[in-house]
Amino acid sequence: MTTGLNYQNLDGLIACPHCDLLHELEALQPGQRATCSRCHSTLITTKSETMDRTLALALASAVLMAGALCFPFLGMSKAGLERKASIVDVILAFSEGWYVLLGLCVLLFVVVLPMVRAALLVYTIWPLRQGRPALPHAKLAFAWAEALAPWAMTEIFIIGTAVALIKIGGLATISFGTSFWLFCVLVLVIGFQNASVCRWTIWSTIRKVTA
Amino acid sequence: MISAREAGLVGCHRCGTVHQPQDHDCRMCGKTLKSRKPNSLQKTWAWLITGLVFYIPANVFPLLSNRVLGSEDGHTIIEGIILFFKKGDFLVASVIMAASLLIPIGKFLIVGFLVLSIHYRWNLSAHARLVLYELVEFIGRWSMIDVFVVALLASLIRLGAIISILPGPGSVCFALSVVFTMISAQSIDAKLIWDDTSKEPKHE
Repeated sequence: MTTGLNYQNLDGLIACPHCDLLHELEALQPGQRATCSRCHSTLITTKSETMDRTLALALASAVLMAGALCFPFLGMSKAGLERKASIVDVILAFSEGWYVLLGLCVLLFVVVLPMVRAALLVYTIWPLRQGRPALPHAKLAFAWAEALAPWAMTEIFIIGTAVALIKIGGLATISFGTSFWLFCVLVLVIGFQNASVCRWTIWSTIRKVTA
Repeated sequence: MISAREAGLVGCHRCGTVHQPQDHDCRMCGKTLKSRKPNSLQKTWAWLITGLVFYIPANVFPLLSNRVLGSEDGHTIIEGIILFFKKGDFLVASVIMAASLLIPIGKFLIVGFLVLSIHYRWNLSAHARLVLYELVEFIGRWSMIDVFVVALLASLIRLGAIISILPGPGSVCFALSVVFTMISAQSIDAKLIWDDTSKEPKHE
């Protein structure tokens, strides 16, 4: 077949991880983005300082999460009685039998997995950014960070809060706590963090420094 | 346009590096190389059916129950939607209907349809399948909304006999159903979508 691709130098090629189409690697200008010509998924982004940005946002998300856990998330009042609940209260509220799973869902998908992902990103990228060799098992750490991405559901939790508020409607009066607003910022920060990761850049940098 | 497989090469699923077929691990990211994920469609079916099995009790049992001044009434997903419709709260009713009824059912149908269309090579454009696949990948996680709603309400609204909201068995089944269908969608090897279709223009 005549496709003009050079099969001798496999390092000059990239196969789209989503649809397997072969592409020739070209040097990109800063700010350019390479997408698959068939399925349009992003192959390479050359955002300037992709590593700096990812690091900064991952650290920011950890600080915000720490704050969000300390303050009350929502408050309610009915007939003169008041009650406040933090995220920790939501997690610990369920102790009977299978309902523990509900608290576990919140614990894992909203708190633990987003933080594990941020920690793994920092672990992988920090030494690379300093120009030092990657830490042990950096490849595994970055692979896990990427695999966890769909399981970190902070943005879904915030929409869930909105739906919960609508659902209660007139049943009780609801107020937002500090933690709620911190969480809204956290959702944005995590969104930007996910958008700033360029997998190809990180994989090739790990390879360069370990070779 | 030629895929790595058609060129007799193997592209890494994780990072896209191209390898010779005899290579075992990816030289870039260390992942075990497979031209296509083994048994991708069987695994998808298995997780999908598991998700479907848990979706049945999720609808039969109450999702949560309101206890207002001593009287308790639990309602299932569908009863909840009907309740809000009767009240005239069409916005709430449609949000709940989308998140807990249309998205999960749509997901089961789309994943099932995708797997069948790949397996039997139905005459369907790859781009249509891509749209369906991305829809499932994107939308699947959002069903978790309902689980978070129940967790939030049941932990916040707790004023004993005056007003309390208690979780129902349906909520746990629903959470498990969402997790299993997410795994099911992730088991699909998206590369299979393109395998039969991309060849056609090449051979002419």
